Amino acid sequence: MLKIPRKTRRAIAPYALALPGAVLLFIFFYGVINGVFQGFGIMPFLGRIEFTLDYYIEAFTRSDLSSSIVYSLYLSAVSAVLAIIGGVAISAVMTRARTSRLTRLVNIQIPIMTMHSLVALAVICLFTGSGLFPRLLYHLGIVSDPNTFVSVVGASSGWGIILVYLWKEIPFVAFCTVTIMANISDSLGEAAATLGANPLKTFFTVTLPLCKGAIVKAFLIVFTFAFGSYEVPFLLGPTLPKAMPVLAYIEFQDPDIINRCYAMALNGIMVLICSLFALVYFIVLQRERKGRM
Amino acid sequence: MKNVSMPAVSRRKFLALTGATGSTVVLGGALAGCSGSSEPASDGEGSDAEIDYTNWDAVLEAAKGQTVSWYGYGGSEPRNEWIESVLTPLLKEKYDITLDLVGMDINDILSQLSGEMQANAEEGTIDFIWINGENFYSAKENGYLWGPFCEYLPNFNDYVDGESADIAYDFGSAVEGYEAPYGKAQMQMWVDSSVIAETPKNPEEFLAFCQAHPGQVTYPQPGDFTGTAFICCLIAGVVGKEEFEKLSMMTDPSEDEVKAIIEPGLEYLRSLNPHLWNQGTTFPADSNTVSTMYADGELVMNMGYGAPQALVDDGTLPETTKSFLFDTGTVGNTNFMAIAANAPHKAAALVAINEVISPEMQLSQYEVLGNMSVLDMEKLDEADRTAFDDVELGVSQLPLSDLLAVRVAEPAGPVVPIIEQIWLDEVVGK
Amino acid sequence: MAASNAAATRRKKRNGKPFSKLFVAIHVLIVLLPISVIAVWACADRWQWPLLLPEEFSMRGIEEVLFSSNGQGLAVMGQSIAIAFAVAVLTTIVAAMAARAICNYTWVGRNAYSFLLVVPFLIPTTVFAMGVQVLFIHAGIARTVFGVILAHSICALPYAVTIMIDVTRAAGTRLEDAARTLGAGPLRSFVSTTLPALMPGILSSISMSYILSFSQYFLTLLIGGGAVRTFATVMFPYLSGGDRTIAAAYGISFILATFVVFLIFEWLLRRFGLGKRTDLYG
Repeated sequence: MLKIPRKTRRAIAPYALALPGAVLLFIFFYGVINGVFQGFGIMPFLGRIEFTLDYYIEAFTRSDLSSSIVYSLYLSAVSAVLAIIGGVAISAVMTRARTSRLTRLVNIQIPIMTMHSLVALAVICLFTGSGLFPRLLYHLGIVSDPNTFVSVVGASSGWGIILVYLWKEIPFVAFCTVTIMANISDSLGEAAATLGANPLKTFFTVTLPLCKGAIVKAFLIVFTFAFGSYEVPFLLGPTLPKAMPVLAYIEFQDPDIINRCYAMALNGIMVLICSLFALVYFIVLQRERKGRM
Repeated sequence: MKNVSMPAVSRRKFLALTGATGSTVVLGGALAGCSGSSEPASDGEGSDAEIDYTNWDAVLEAAKGQTVSWYGYGGSEPRNEWIESVLTPLLKEKYDITLDLVGMDINDILSQLSGEMQANAEEGTIDFIWINGENFYSAKENGYLWGPFCEYLPNFNDYVDGESADIAYDFGSAVEGYEAPYGKAQMQMWVDSSVIAETPKNPEEFLAFCQAHPGQVTYPQPGDFTGTAFICCLIAGVVGKEEFEKLSMMTDPSEDEVKAIIEPGLEYLRSLNPHLWNQGTTFPADSNTVSTMYADGELVMNMGYGAPQALVDDGTLPETTKSFLFDTGTVGNTNFMAIAANAPHKAAALVAINEVISPEMQLSQYEVLGNMSVLDMEKLDEADRTAFDDVELGVSQLPLSDLLAVRVAEPAGPVVPIIEQIWLDEVVGK
Repeated sequence: MAASNAAATRRKKRNGKPFSKLFVAIHVLIVLLPISVIAVWACADRWQWPLLLPEEFSMRGIEEVLFSSNGQGLAVMGQSIAIAFAVAVLTTIVAAMAARAICNYTWVGRNAYSFLLVVPFLIPTTVFAMGVQVLFIHAGIARTVFGVILAHSICALPYAVTIMIDVTRAAGTRLEDAARTLGAGPLRSFVSTTLPALMPGILSSISMSYILSFSQYFLTLLIGGGAVRTFATVMFPYLSGGDRTIAAAYGISFILATFVVFLIFEWLLRRFGLGKRTDLYG
């Protein structure tokens, strides 16, 4: 082995460690940048290399854009907030109840591994006008026919969409927080308990602040995911307004190739909004790091 | 599968339950679309370069031993089953060709194809594709397809009327030998005859039908191809077949032109709304959801291309399922097979396509899948024609002649998105 | 430590925590509800209003999954599992290295690097898929299992990194430094001190990456070009195919297959004595 001075080794080490990740990131951004360019009408393979803002202008001036953005923000904000509350609660009671690994496999891993469209399918089977839930109500004499129950499909409150996201993301949030919470409960929680603090108070004054970093991260992941994915709002959302990613998806469906640049511009707007959240995340990350040092 | 006869080949991808990848398809596909290839279409070069395609024996010889990949919509179980249990063994036995069926949605297929073309991969992975409508138009325009090849096919020359509008045009765009017909499809509606005694025969009666079953009738949101086709049937019924078929000739339509033709139809659609599911304020996003609601009993009527016979045979729908048409017409189209420009096994693809349109295989598809044949019955010999006539139909199936009698041409590709947008602006919730 | 932990556990067991247990039990039921609906639909054909149980049962969905002539059932399943495992291991190693670089060293570009690593969270996985497809074809790794593994790893990386950064930071460097001072070689001190501390995170990262790879559809399709088939790509057309019975049958098999792999994983952990250590972690 080459004799490299220890100091140099120490200086090189982080770069060497970071390299494989950097390679994967490079490939990732290569694809992303390719896509972003197309929103500006640059498609070298069609011989179009002229930069144009037309697609973005068209996207920004479409009449239903703002209502779609608002609807998407509503869906993702409600889903993310409720998922955080639920996830943290689950994580806390699981820590407290010292659940077995098998239980965790069921109530955390299963929802994470189940595809969104499958959950949507189950929700459709359960909560359409003729779904299993209204049938149960029928047998209890509460509902008389399939048109009495407000179907989950097309409900403008989007409760079905939120339900699917919650079923999937509450366990995800728990997944993100349960490890750190278990650690805290082992060390600090014991101390607090010994000092006679009540468990609820301990949770809010000790555990929760220590989990803040993980919670914020989980919030952003859930929020941006709910904001950017089309499959659930497509299936369960109302005809108007459509969620932002559904708009982009429908535009993409148009087989006219030029139209896909327009779809890309809509996606660009979505990425832009997500980037704002990324910025917030970055700031949070920085603060968190400073707080630690 | 209710869309037995041709779901995936629709101009649009199925708007349907989608899997884990979420916005995957949106963004990925968007990229795909934006990066077409400027390669000219007809370079048949590649491993097959030296074959004389006009000599069918030479094609058969070249095809021997090849494995040919057929990309198409893979979500129709009866069709997959037919291909695997009837067509594949036959090709193997007769021509020593191995058929590899790859099930994908058409958008994904085109994404993959365009990616391969961009990378200038001389030999792609895709040999031939189940395709039609705007997907065909756009693939052809971008030089993704190889051809013209129909003239090479003996069965095409012998049994298909290449001049008929159904075969020569695909959603208004000229086929020009770049795709060979696979099957015909036509809209029909169905109900459970044990629940519904009388089915509507025209838009007027349909309105009365909706009034009689308030909240129990709806259609998939146009944009889903079934939904679009259904409102087209209604519009055609209101404005008349002749007027409506003007839409199938338009190459560069403006919104005003389209609106001028369909305006009475829009008025009619608005008059339906109060009696529809959710008072017509929302519509289910895709035909799968409508089918689910129909199967569960929330809706009393469903619709699609082709009869739901497979579902009746499965037991998913009752034996009392009955199809019906509007006397004023229902829209129909043809779906096709095209060969990729960079297909590695063009000879085998030709042989396979030729076999799909042979009288025997067309008959078999009609028997097993209820697929409407693309052959010109006049050109068949007596025995084959009788065989078609003798096929016993399932309870939910309608005779070919009934279907063809009321067939209305679909609007041209570029007209369709305009109709969908107008519907969105002026019908839903109004 | 171990003794006091055991004592704590005993004490907690005695307390019972009925409320927490009830809460967890309710959550388990909520999780299982849609799964059971899917499971019943996998063997139901007709199930009309207002019946609470299907009128007609059928095995055709299950048969389709198991015996479909094109599915090559077990081979596809085996390949999916192998790919997912490779992705899980590769991603976790890369993420562990990246986390170590970020947590244990100060260097130029560290902040930017740690930020860029999580950006893929914010951009739907596949904005990059198409551009990458062209790159992969040029590089000759499209349509290969390796190409698919690489592409999946990119998707899984941000999740793995987030998990690994958390544990790496928590593990710190003190023990490892101490071992080094005591004269142990770098590898040995890492293996004997830091690695065990990282273990819970490594396991989490492996399982997360495994799931992400196993359920990846579009990317597999594009990079695999139809040549590399996984369970997700075979299942997907059926999910969107409009036949609820077959869709549900595929769905439930997907969940079962993943679940069984996790159970085996769990059993192996226990077998090799890792289970106890990670007892407290998700």
